[in-house]
Amino acid sequence: MKWTEVNVKTTNEAVEAVSSIFDGLNAVGVKIENALDFENYRASNPAELMELKDIPHITEGAIVSAYYPDDTTNIDVILSQLRTKVNALVDFGLDIGEASITTVEVQDDNWATAWKKYYHPVRITRYLTVKPSWSDYQASFSDEKVISLDPGMAFGTGTHPTTRLCLQALEMTMRGGETLYDVGTGSGVLSIAAKHLGASDVEAFDVDDIAVAAAQENFDLNPIAKDIKVSANDLLKGINRPVDTIVANILSDILVPLIPQAKQLLNSNGYFILSGIIDDKLELVIDTLIANDFKIEEVLHYGEWRGVIATNRKDD
Amino acid sequence: MAKKVANIVKLQIPAGKATPAPPVGPALGQAGINIMGFTKDFNARTADQAGLLIPVVITVYEDRSFDFVTKTPPASVLLKKAAGVEHGSGEPNTNKVATVTSAQVKEIAETKMQDLNAADVEAAMRMIEGTARSMGFVVEG
Repeated sequence: MKWTEVNVKTTNEAVEAVSSIFDGLNAVGVKIENALDFENYRASNPAELMELKDIPHITEGAIVSAYYPDDTTNIDVILSQLRTKVNALVDFGLDIGEASITTVEVQDDNWATAWKKYYHPVRITRYLTVKPSWSDYQASFSDEKVISLDPGMAFGTGTHPTTRLCLQALEMTMRGGETLYDVGTGSGVLSIAAKHLGASDVEAFDVDDIAVAAAQENFDLNPIAKDIKVSANDLLKGINRPVDTIVANILSDILVPLIPQAKQLLNSNGYFILSGIIDDKLELVIDTLIANDFKIEEVLHYGEWRGVIATNRKDD
Repeated sequence: MAKKVANIVKLQIPAGKATPAPPVGPALGQAGINIMGFTKDFNARTADQAGLLIPVVITVYEDRSFDFVTKTPPASVLLKKAAGVEHGSGEPNTNKVATVTSAQVKEIAETKMQDLNAADVEAAMRMIEGTARSMGFVVEG
């Protein structure tokens, strides 16, 4: 997909007003490059190790940039209104500097994969290592399990704290032979890990079709994961088959409605592994789990992220 | 050992709703950051402010790990809140839609002082006042 990047070169004084103009012209957010932000960064972040000369930045004025899809039919009208509104800022007492407006066409392929060159094999847990699909990394010890991934635009390189917490929790709870649902599978990394850890049957779900496609590609990349089923689904709505383990690495506000669904689908004493919980949402998730008669077995910590291992309490 | 800063990126994006689409994708992809990792972190930390545009400064390190801090809301957001209106004017020269006082402008300038790169409060007030007028707000007092 192509986008038109619209850049306004202006002054620090007019940055707020130009950003506001873009907001009024239906831009979904802006990028701001401001020479003074770079100059002042050192003063406000004294602990950072940095050399300003090594950082790409402008040395004068500011550039406010917004993006419009290439098929925006009224881009010429938007540009004309932008020009008028930016020039009018002078009437409101603002120094707008050169106020030049330029456009550049950008293709999303150019940025979607740019980060991949920095993605390398990473040993995540005692047994699990995640490697990019384009790396020829081989297991370096006998019981190391290597997951090959090409996340594409789906979440889950294995290196994110929330994924690490899930992988640790799977390693702690799985003993082999489990049936498992992976809810919000993203790249499918957790499903593949579950198979490596001995799950007999894994089914993955994601509400996002891009993630479903990415997960399927990753299952095909990993021979052990070839029999994992993946489909588009809203959490566990309409799913009826009970399982031994449910793992979900989603954000807290989405985990909350998943909890009663998981309660209905987990076998007695089955494990429910939840991740994607920022520290100040932990109480909400724990309270909801307890209200649904789950037993909290363990809370895992990684920086500001929390993971929870709960069990579907069996009536004694 | 501290990691060396490789890049600094500033965006203004909707709280709780960041996606890999622009401006996030091009800005962070070019900086070498895993875009989906950032959107997950940002959305988790700003979920309670959903509906607001939030400025965010992302520090990218040499190993392409990153950290970010969210800043005070944009001046336009604070001005609309102070004036009790949802939108600015499409024709700010001729159609005035709200009024803010100089005291309110000063309060916003002080709130945003650290994020405006202004030399002093007077300079910060000039920026806020100009932004207010460009939205069709009358500044009184």
